[in-house]
Amino acid sequence: MRVSVWFIAGLGCLFLFGFFVLGVSLYRLQTEKAGEFAEVETTQTTRRISVPALRGRILDRSGHVLADCRPSRCVICNLEELQQRGGRSNTVNAIDAAVEALSSAIRVPRTLTREQIARHVMRASALPLTVWRDLDEQAFARFAEHADAFPGFDMAVRAERRYPYGTLAAHVIGYTGRGRPGEDSVTAPAERLGAHFFEELEIKGRKGVEGFYNRYLAGFPGERFLRVDARGFRPRKSAGQELADAAADDIAPTDGLDLVLTLDIGVQAELERQLEGVTGAGVVLDPRDGAVLAMASSPTFNPNDCIPHLTTAVYATLTNAPAKRGQNRAISEAYAPGSTFKPVTALAALATGWLPDDEYDCTGVYQLGPWKLRCWDYYGHGPINLRQALEQSCNTFFCNVGSAIGTNALVEAARAFGLGACTGIDLGEETPGVVPDETWKKLHYNEPWYPGDTCQMSIGQGMLLVTPLQMAVVAATLANGGTRVKPYLHKKAGMDASGTQPQPEGPVVPFSQESIDLVREGMRDVVTKGTGRKIAIGLPVTCAGKTGTAEIGRGETRRKNTWVIAFAPYEAPTVAMAMIVERGESGSKTVAPRVNAVFAEIFGRTEGENVP
Amino acid sequence: MKAFFSKFLRLDWVMLVCMLLLVRMGVRLIQSAGGARTSAALQDLWTVHAWTAVIGLVIYVVLASIDYRKLLDWCAGPVFALAGVMLVAVLVFGSVRYGGRRWLWFFQPSELAKLAVILLLAHVFGRQPAADDASPRRFGWRGGLCGLAIFGVPAALILAEPDLGTALVLVPTAFVMLLAARVWIKGLVALLLVGLLAAGLVLGAVYVAERHPSPDGRARVIYRHMPLKEHQLKRLRVFLFPDRDIHGDGYNLRQARISIGSGSWWGKGLGKGSLKRLGYLPPAVSMNDFIFAVLAEEMGFMGCLSLLLLYLGILLSGLRIAWRCPDDRGRLLAIGVCTLVFAHVYVNIAMSIGLMPITGLPLPLISAGRTFLVVVMAALGLLQSVAVHRMDES
Repeated sequence: MRVSVWFIAGLGCLFLFGFFVLGVSLYRLQTEKAGEFAEVETTQTTRRISVPALRGRILDRSGHVLADCRPSRCVICNLEELQQRGGRSNTVNAIDAAVEALSSAIRVPRTLTREQIARHVMRASALPLTVWRDLDEQAFARFAEHADAFPGFDMAVRAERRYPYGTLAAHVIGYTGRGRPGEDSVTAPAERLGAHFFEELEIKGRKGVEGFYNRYLAGFPGERFLRVDARGFRPRKSAGQELADAAADDIAPTDGLDLVLTLDIGVQAELERQLEGVTGAGVVLDPRDGAVLAMASSPTFNPNDCIPHLTTAVYATLTNAPAKRGQNRAISEAYAPGSTFKPVTALAALATGWLPDDEYDCTGVYQLGPWKLRCWDYYGHGPINLRQALEQSCNTFFCNVGSAIGTNALVEAARAFGLGACTGIDLGEETPGVVPDETWKKLHYNEPWYPGDTCQMSIGQGMLLVTPLQMAVVAATLANGGTRVKPYLHKKAGMDASGTQPQPEGPVVPFSQESIDLVREGMRDVVTKGTGRKIAIGLPVTCAGKTGTAEIGRGETRRKNTWVIAFAPYEAPTVAMAMIVERGESGSKTVAPRVNAVFAEIFGRTEGENVP
Repeated sequence: MKAFFSKFLRLDWVMLVCMLLLVRMGVRLIQSAGGARTSAALQDLWTVHAWTAVIGLVIYVVLASIDYRKLLDWCAGPVFALAGVMLVAVLVFGSVRYGGRRWLWFFQPSELAKLAVILLLAHVFGRQPAADDASPRRFGWRGGLCGLAIFGVPAALILAEPDLGTALVLVPTAFVMLLAARVWIKGLVALLLVGLLAAGLVLGAVYVAERHPSPDGRARVIYRHMPLKEHQLKRLRVFLFPDRDIHGDGYNLRQARISIGSGSWWGKGLGKGSLKRLGYLPPAVSMNDFIFAVLAEEMGFMGCLSLLLLYLGILLSGLRIAWRCPDDRGRLLAIGVCTLVFAHVYVNIAMSIGLMPITGLPLPLISAGRTFLVVVMAALGLLQSVAVHRMDES
């Protein structure tokens, strides 16, 4: 025999060895490394899709809906149904043709370009493509009629932001745009932020409380896991090829919370009505705790115009000077406060040793070296004390006082009232204003501080700049007896339920109760017999206030910004406000009647009174 | 009739059962792999495979019932000649698919050539010596050259198709048969060593050239002197650096490894292999060369182990048949068939898991492919013939 049994046995050993090698390799691959490969498999066959949460509503203090989400009728296209053999451009062509045909069938012009379709097919083929959003009812009905003829197209309802009251409180509410889901929700659990795909952009707050409380309103996006095939499409449902999405791992989105504001839409509407047609701003606070009852800026805009996203044209109307409709003048524009600053000057004087009965003889002009400052009363007020000076808003008196006590006392008092710093209200866009001193002037103008600067500052002019909100805080501080409350918009939970009176919280201004009472009395005189009598007409409650008329610019650009700060009722104030009208006549003529109307909205009118 | 029954009782039952189980497994796997395809013809390919298996079984029974000595006497020469003619014909008339001219309609002559070479080698080198049996040097270098020609000519024709994989299994099969027949041992061993050395050198050279991801001047010099085609170079590159180009050349291997690995112990269940069904494992190869990946994904390590045991059942019974066979022709025939099956199984599985460079070889009895299924079943029929007729008078 040529072929020996040993050769056969050897061959058998070779076979056994070969199979042993294969078996060991397979064992390693399939048991030791199985987890690793299973993970690779999962990452390559599934897509994590971010699912937007429903955005919370924005309500006023009594539950009126200022912003919510409405359903928007959309037509979507499931790409896998229209997937073609061959290159992706075949699929793009098929979808493009189908969209064109559908467009003529439902008589709605197409909004989607071929490039957009191509981009979607390349980047997110597992996700449905939104063909139309926000269709009207007729078009949607026509689509439902034709849907059978267009496989792959489907209806979907998505959320769209809506502002039922239109322009009301537009600057406070702000508006929304669109952004990646969970983009800035640092508070969301980290594992929910890993998704790289999303069906649609999330509604995202851009301005106002929509922006400030975006995280609160937006909630956390959820996640959906989709199976995709090797080409990135979802597997077709036909041909018995159902491969379940890994639905068990889906995470439902956490819907956003409703935001209840301290605003009162009645007061807000009245305030806006009073500012209609003029450029200006107003803020109404509850002096007991700083709650903002109303905040308005004029001219205003309709946030619904910014939905679903800000177009260039709308953006231009929001930002173009001089109207700057999008700017919230109540917090982001700084003005010279004019005579409304005089109560602060008065308190600084009393703290520095000026006595309530100390008199100054107003001759109608204040002489400072070669420079003259006229009082508004050409013939002068004659001998006048502090309380009377407040009532009459005597410029020469306060110039004299300012010069007597010096810059530092004025600056300290202004800062004690929170001027020159942001109030910290829960809105972005706040500007701190300016409380000038020697260093500030050196830094910005490279000029020394002149006695005239002190004089100007003591009557609220010159370089001193404040926001209407800051002046409202000054009014509130004087109203509640000296506590500088922090204004806020987000109504604290359970405030109504407890039924107790809100207690003012915040730093107490460093002035004696007697001085504050004296200044309050002066402000009371303003509305009873002084410059601000129009504030109090026909009101069932007592009130106090201070008018102001700040002259700015020279020559051609010379204009007056007119002010009022006020609070009511005088004995136990529940409302404090500040209002400015740009290019007005005077505080008492232009602004006082408007403030009166706002107070009337809050407190009602006395029977039979005629309102100017 | 009685004679037929006595033959029936002498069949090697283990081998028969293992073969039938493997065929059944193949039908199920092709059905499963076809489920991922859209065309109805491919979805129903498993029925074609099943009917081919029935034809194969008929041929199997017929061959098993005929004495292999007569078969060799009658057929070895004509089958070899037929295979040779067809190999030439396929180069001229064949239809081109998957980058090779391999088909005459549905028929692959290269598969027949494997069997033809085994038959002729067994016939030529297994003949009983005329006078005395102990003359181990009867086939000297002349015999060696003759043997080389018998498998070298078909191998060259197959390489021209080109079908490197088939040529590569033909060579070890023929070598094992010649070594078993002790034909020109020194020369063959020397050739074997030279071959291994050359293979090692080529692999080493490619490794040196490709060690750095961007080929430099050295790589160009190396490739200028290397008789490799671009696609062969790619396969060696993928074998040496499987993680380098996982979205291009290395895609198939990586997806095969992910499929196999993610199968874990028990697999995902028949028809539920997600990688296969979602098309990650390229559908073009999932029924043929990479069907093992489908099996491993859907039936897991246990399925793979069963597959290996079934093959081992066939191979070891085949070797037992050779062991018990009293004449050289039967032994050579059995050794040839076993080696052919082993080479296919080993190369196919090893390339699927990255132990060997990728070459397009089917998995015997499992992969879709009518010619190869019939050829393997016929070869196993011949083995059964050896088992049944070994004691017959010659």
